[in-house]
Amino acid sequence: MRAFLSFAVAALMAGNAFAADLTVRVTDASGAPVENAVITFTPAAGVTTPIRFSWPYQVAQQNLQFDPYILIVPVGATVRFPNLDRVRHHVYSFSEGARFELELFGRDESRSHRFTQAGVAAVGCNIHDQMQAYIVIVDTPYVGRTAATGAVVIAGAIGQGTLRVWHPNLRARGGAMTRVVTLPASGAAQEAFSVQLRAGGHAH
Amino acid sequence: MRIDRAFKRLSTKLTVLYAGLFGLALFAVALSVYLAVSDNASRTVRRELSANGAVFDRVWAMREQQLRDSAGILARDFGFRDAVASMDHPTIDSALDNLRERLQIDRAFMMSVDGQLIGLDGAVPAEADLLWTALDAEENASGVLMIGGRPFQAVSAPIRAPNLIGWIVFAAELNPAHLTSLEALAAIPLEASVFTRAPDAVWRTSDDAIAPGDISAVAQLIERTSVNGDAPQLVRVGGAPSIAVVKTLHNFGGDGASVLLLRYPLALAMAGLQPLLASIVIIGLISMALIVAGSWALARGITRPIAALDHATHALERGERPHVVVETTDEIGRLAASFNVMSGEIATREQRITHMALHDSDTGLPNRRALDAAIQATPEGFVVALTIARYRHIREAIGFSLAVQLVQALGKKAQASHPALTIGRLSADTIAIVLAVADEASALALSADIRETLEGRIGVGGVQVDVALNAGVAHIRDAGDQAALDYALIAAEQARASEREVALFDPVAYGDPASNLSLMSEMIDGINRGQLTLHYQPKFDLRTNAVTGAEALVRWNHPTRGRIAPDVFVVMAEETGHIAELTEWTLIQAISDQQKLRAAGADMLISVNLSGRLIGDAAFTELAIGLIEDTGAQICLEITETAAMKEPEAALVNIDRYVAAGVRISIDDYGAGLSSLSYLKRIQAHELKLDKSFIQALGAQSREALLVKSTVDLAHSLGMKITAEGVETAPVLALLTGMGCDIAQGYLIGRPMPLGDLIETLPHAAPQTMQSTASAI
Repeated sequence: MRAFLSFAVAALMAGNAFAADLTVRVTDASGAPVENAVITFTPAAGVTTPIRFSWPYQVAQQNLQFDPYILIVPVGATVRFPNLDRVRHHVYSFSEGARFELELFGRDESRSHRFTQAGVAAVGCNIHDQMQAYIVIVDTPYVGRTAATGAVVIAGAIGQGTLRVWHPNLRARGGAMTRVVTLPASGAAQEAFSVQLRAGGHAH
Repeated sequence: MRIDRAFKRLSTKLTVLYAGLFGLALFAVALSVYLAVSDNASRTVRRELSANGAVFDRVWAMREQQLRDSAGILARDFGFRDAVASMDHPTIDSALDNLRERLQIDRAFMMSVDGQLIGLDGAVPAEADLLWTALDAEENASGVLMIGGRPFQAVSAPIRAPNLIGWIVFAAELNPAHLTSLEALAAIPLEASVFTRAPDAVWRTSDDAIAPGDISAVAQLIERTSVNGDAPQLVRVGGAPSIAVVKTLHNFGGDGASVLLLRYPLALAMAGLQPLLASIVIIGLISMALIVAGSWALARGITRPIAALDHATHALERGERPHVVVETTDEIGRLAASFNVMSGEIATREQRITHMALHDSDTGLPNRRALDAAIQATPEGFVVALTIARYRHIREAIGFSLAVQLVQALGKKAQASHPALTIGRLSADTIAIVLAVADEASALALSADIRETLEGRIGVGGVQVDVALNAGVAHIRDAGDQAALDYALIAAEQARASEREVALFDPVAYGDPASNLSLMSEMIDGINRGQLTLHYQPKFDLRTNAVTGAEALVRWNHPTRGRIAPDVFVVMAEETGHIAELTEWTLIQAISDQQKLRAAGADMLISVNLSGRLIGDAAFTELAIGLIEDTGAQICLEITETAAMKEPEAALVNIDRYVAAGVRISIDDYGAGLSSLSYLKRIQAHELKLDKSFIQALGAQSREALLVKSTVDLAHSLGMKITAEGVETAPVLALLTGMGCDIAQGYLIGRPMPLGDLIETLPHAAPQTMQSTASAI
C-alpha cells in the first residue's frame, strides 16, 4: 500500500522521484513520541488531482471497538461501517460537517456514510461509550499518521504550504496545530512538533 | 499565729476552721467532679465530633456520588450530547434547567472544551478560567468550587461525543441551609462552616456566624490540624470556647484549600451538666450551713466552760471571788475545780494580807492603816491618842515582850469597854481610838472616861504594872484625815508636857509642822531683816537692891504670822540645827545692847541662853569666846543642867574654856530635872538659877522653903550666887531675901522688855522697884 502511495506520488511529481520526503516528528511535552498524530500538508497552490488512498474506507466494529482507530479518507469518500460483533451498535458522529447517525444495526450488517467536507468526524457508539474512532477527511494527498516512534514520512510534499498536526487528545483549539512551511523541492525535509496532550487518551 | 490573733472567740475560730476545712474539701470534691464531668463531656463531644467527621465524610461522598450520577446521566444522554456537539444553546439550557429542577441542584452548567460556559450566571471570569483549568486537568473533577465567591460542592462529568467536547458541572451550594442538613444528621447539635483559602492564602468563610476576628483562630486550628491530624481541638469562636474538628475538603481542581469546620460550643456541652453542678453546689451549701451550725454548736459546747473560766478570771482580777460551775469531769472540769480552789485560796490569802495590812503584828490590834480607814469613815469625829507615860522605863523594867502584852491588854480592855469604837495601836506606846462624836466636849469627856478606865494597875504575864496615860484629842475635821492621828499624838505629847490627863490638840503651841523648814529659812531671813529682837528681863540683886543684870530673850515678830512664841521657833531651831545662827545673832545683839546700856550709864551683866546642843560644839565655843573677848563684853551664858549633861566631856571642856575666857556660867532651871550633885561639882559655874516651879509654890512653912533654903546654902557653899526665877509676889521676894538668895528675876521685878524700855527705866528702876518691892513687902 505504501509502495503504491509512493509510486503514485512519484508519478505525480515530475523529476526527482523519492527525493522530496518530509519527515515529521511529534513529541509530547515530556519529549516522548506521540503516536496517532495525523500530519497533513496542504500546498498553498492547492490540490487539483483527485485523491485516493490505498487503504479501505471502512470502520469496522469488532470486539466492541472501532477498527481502525483513525481512518484517513479524502473528501467525498464513502466510508462503510461493517458490524462484526454479535451485538448491535448505534454509530454516530456529531462532528460539524460530518454529522451522521447509523441507528442500531446488527451483525454482518453494514452501513455507510459519505463525507463531503474536510474535517474530523469523531465517531462513537451510542450504546458503548468506550467505542471511539476518528475519521479524518482530508483534501490533500500529503497526509500521514505517526507510528509508535512518533515519526511519519510524507512523500512528495514540496513548496509552500500549511503543515497541520491533529491528534485526538491535542490540547489546542480544534485539536490541531498548524504551521506554514516552505518545503524544499528536493531532498529530505525535517519538521518537528512538540504538542501538549490531554490526559486520558485512547488506549491505542 | 496571726489567725489566732484575728479571732476573739474560740468558738468563732473553731467554726471558721471547721467550716473552712470542710469548704476546702467540698470545693476540691466539686472541682474534681466538675473536672471529671466536664472532661467526660468534652471527651464525649470529641468522640461525637470525630464520629460526625466520619459521618460527614460519608455524607459528602454520598452527595458527591448523587451529583456525579446525575451529571454522568446527563453527560451520556445522546440528545444532550447532540445538542452540545452542535452547540445548541437553547436546548442545552433547557436540558440543564430541567435537570436542576428535577434533581434540586443549586447549579448545573456545562463548559465546552474551548472554555465556553453555558447555563451559569454570576461566575466571575477568574473563576471561569480556574474552572476550565480544573476541568481540563482532571477527568472527573470534584470538590469545593467557588462560584461568585461562594463555596459549592461540585462534581464534573465529561461530555463525549464521543471525543471530549465539554463538561457538565453540578454544584450544591455549601450554604447554611445545606450545612444545616448536615448538622441535622449529627447526634449532637453541631455548627458547621466552610472555610476556603483563596490563592492569596487568606482563609475566608461565607458563614455569618464566624466573626472576622475569629478567622485567625480558625486558621491556626487548620494549621494545627494539618500537622497533628484531625483530632478535635479547642477553639474560641464568638468569644466562647468550642470543640472543633477540621475536615479537609478536596478543592475543585486541587488549587487552593477548603476545610469544613465542625464545632460544638463547650457551653452546650456543659449545659447538660448544669443540673448536676447546681445540685452539687446546693448540696455543698446545705452541708456548709449544717457544718457551720454543727461546728458552732460543738465549739460553743467546748468554749462555754472556757468562757465561764475567762469571765471568772476577769472577776478574780477585779478582786471578786468567783465560783465556776462546771458539771463535766474532763480537763476543763478539772481546770474549773482547780480554779475554784485557787480562787478560794487567793481570797483567804487576801484576807490574811488585808488583816496583816490593817493589824499590828505584835499585838494583833488594828494598826495605823486601820485607824486611818476608820478616820476616813468618820469625818465628823475625834481621835484620841492614849500614850503610856514612861513607857521606855516600863519596857526596860518588864521586858519588850511584856511591854507589848501591856499595850495589847490595854487595847483589849478599851475595846471591851467600848466595843463600838475602832481601837488600834498607833505607835509602840500609844493606843488610838476613833470617836464618833460630834462635839469637842463629848470627845473630851469620852476620852477622859476611856483614860480613866485604862489607867491603874494591870496584870501582864503575872506582873502588875501601874499605868499612867496621857490622852491627846484631835478633831478630825480640823486636822484633816491624814494628820488627825499625828495631831492626836502631838496632843498627847502636849498633855504629857503640860502634865494634863487629857489635852485637846493646841495648834498654837504646835505651830505648823508643814512649814517648819520654811519657818527656819524665814527665821534666818528674819535675822537679816531685823524681824528678830531681844527683850531683856531684869535681874535684881537683893544685896545691892539694884538691877545688876538682864536675861536676853529672843522675840520674833513675823510679818505675816505675827509674834511667834520662842518655845516654837527656838525649839525648832534646836531640832533643825539652826540654833547656832540664832545664838550667834543673840550674842552679837546682846553685846551691842550691853554697850548701849553702858553708854546709857548702866553697866549690866547680860545673860544669854546657851542651848545644850551648842555647849559641846567646839567651833561655836571658839566663835562665842572670840566675840566676847573682842568686845570685852560681860556675858553670862545660861546652860540648862540637862543640856549640859548630854555630852558631859565635851561640855565640860568647853565650859572650862568659857570660864578661862572670863565668861560667866549659869546653871539654868536648876531642880526641874534630875539634878546631879556630881554635875554641880564638876561645872565651874558662877550662878545657880532655881527653877520657877520651886519659887512659885514657895510658902513660909512649905517643903519648898526648906529646899530653897538648903539649895541657897549649897550654892553659896560651892561659891555660886543663886538666882530665883519666877518671882511674882512680894512675900516670895521677902522670903527669898530672908533665905539669903542673891538675885531675883520675875514679873515682880520686871517683865521682859525691849532695850529702849530697859534703858528708860534704868536710872529710876532701882528706886522704883525698890519702892514697889518695899511696898509689896
